[in-house]
Amino acid sequence: MSVPLHQTRHRALLPVGLPDVLPPDAGHEAALMERLMASFASHGYQRVKPPLLEFTDSLLAGIGADTTLSHQTFRVLDPQSGMMMGIRPDFTPQVARIAGSRLSQAPRPLRLAYCGQVLRVASSQIQPERQIDQVGVELIGASQPEADAEIILLAANSLAGLGIISLSVDLCMPTLVPTLCQAWGLDPDTTERLRQALDRKDAAGVAAVGGEPALVLGRLMAAAGLADGALETLEAMPLPAAAEPDRQHLAQVVRLVRHAAPHLMVTLDLVEYRGFEYQDGVSFTLFSRGRGGESGSGLELGNGGRYRAGATQDIRGEKDIPGEPATGFTLYANAVVKTAPPPEARSQVYLPHGTDPQKGEQLRADGWVTLAGLALLAEAEAKAEAIRLGCGFIVTSRDARPVKLADDGSAKTSTP
Amino acid sequence: MTAKSEPVQEELVLALPKGRILDELRPLLDRVGIIPEPEFDNDNSRHLKFKTNLPHLSLIRVRSFDVATFVAFGAAHLGVAGNDVIMEFDYSELYAPLDLGIGRCRLSVAEPVALSQTDDPQRWSHVRVATKYPEITRRHFAARGVQAECVKLNGAMELAPALGLCHRIVDLVSSGATLRANGLKEVEEITAVTSRLIVNRAAFKTRPEELHRWIETFREATHAP
Repeated sequence: MSVPLHQTRHRALLPVGLPDVLPPDAGHEAALMERLMASFASHGYQRVKPPLLEFTDSLLAGIGADTTLSHQTFRVLDPQSGMMMGIRPDFTPQVARIAGSRLSQAPRPLRLAYCGQVLRVASSQIQPERQIDQVGVELIGASQPEADAEIILLAANSLAGLGIISLSVDLCMPTLVPTLCQAWGLDPDTTERLRQALDRKDAAGVAAVGGEPALVLGRLMAAAGLADGALETLEAMPLPAAAEPDRQHLAQVVRLVRHAAPHLMVTLDLVEYRGFEYQDGVSFTLFSRGRGGESGSGLELGNGGRYRAGATQDIRGEKDIPGEPATGFTLYANAVVKTAPPPEARSQVYLPHGTDPQKGEQLRADGWVTLAGLALLAEAEAKAEAIRLGCGFIVTSRDARPVKLADDGSAKTSTP
Repeated sequence: MTAKSEPVQEELVLALPKGRILDELRPLLDRVGIIPEPEFDNDNSRHLKFKTNLPHLSLIRVRSFDVATFVAFGAAHLGVAGNDVIMEFDYSELYAPLDLGIGRCRLSVAEPVALSQTDDPQRWSHVRVATKYPEITRRHFAARGVQAECVKLNGAMELAPALGLCHRIVDLVSSGATLRANGLKEVEEITAVTSRLIVNRAAFKTRPEELHRWIETFREATHAP
């Protein structure tokens, strides 16, 4: 038996998946999130700020009571109201709630953006973080392929704006396989077996089902790859008529995205489902190809897709409100930070005690980072103090410009 | 092939399991056209990563359970692992597109012969099971309303019932000779096992042409006479 955690605990020990983020990473992350939000704002996406916790009744109405996300929701009892509250595991249900209630009269399509933290109950080895910084948008009240294309391109362009060049977008249509299974009249057990085999891209498992479903799904699965080729396969396939709307919508979105961003790498996976249980239309995952310095396996930066905003079920589980067509995406700050080039380091200058405040004002306006000396020191000591605090420069009474500090004591004036 | 037009082709790592499966894999690697550096066949080598005749392809040789982990984390892009290992971890980042048809065996529940004659599985609420596969075991028993309390062992499972550690084991069975020699009887097969070619999900999505080409090459080699 291992020693209980409370007996060995060090004061600095934090729970799994809840790390401290230190300088310069915390600052870098915040700056990147701001730039993403600015990009969304420039496309007309206005920021909303839902609360960290809300009553589970309303939070889970949009998530579904017995779903992966509902099991990922931390719950606490509100001592004030005596009601159960949940800490949001995701922003989308909250934004959808806002759109369907307080902003129900706002003109459609409604473009909203958000930035903040979500909390999940369980972490995995691969995704250890439980507190996740998310930034994203929702486009509510539009069902056209143009809306899907806008969202995909906004995500890709905003990430490209951070200097992430090796971007790749994987498109999928999570409703296609369920629609096909229903059209073929497959029983729930067979559908579930197919689902598991498709999730693992297990060709043998799909073939084991036999008949037309195995043949068609096998070919759809094998078609996964660069969008143009995969789309050609999809369009040439004889499919039940029920799958026609999905096929046409997806084809249209691929064309719009390929036309608007011919150099963006776009792949298509026609049988993807895992992680898109809430989606009911064109969905996508954003990857960075290769992670700087490490292996070339790629890193997931975010995902998104089409859903029904505000669709809720009543207590009896009947679908009451169909909601509005919507699409959106979420980017994960921790993944974006790993991929985006680091910001340019700004020069730090030490202002010895007693430096004219206007001098500091001017330097900051010129782009310097100033560190004010809090104690009066002789010149040689002030220089040593500046070096100790990591400043590359110091202000002196003799020189108009900050003087560069070198470890050997020689000094030169310079600009930031 | 677009891979050739790229200025620098990125490295590709293939993870292979040590031991019995590796011997069965070698003829397949020959047919695929992968020739490892000579050091790969030196069992006493301290190397863990090996070059091949293909400049961008290297091999790593790790424990069979670790193959799945290396590939799921993207540290290796391709690998060979049994579906027992794939099921045990159930990593969402793993694809298993091809059954290589080697390493055939089954994952089964076994118990002492004497017990199997009197035991009534209908009455179980909790069972204690020694296994290398606690997740699969828990899921398997939970599906019929039985809580499996697993004792994780890394080998010599067959010893556990004889020494009173527990009554039942869940382990790989090929001929059944080891079970018989230890007075155990196979009472239920959980799944048939073969080795699969596995691929990292992100690599599959972001390097589709290259990885499709590898999957196809392995498929042809698997089906070759």
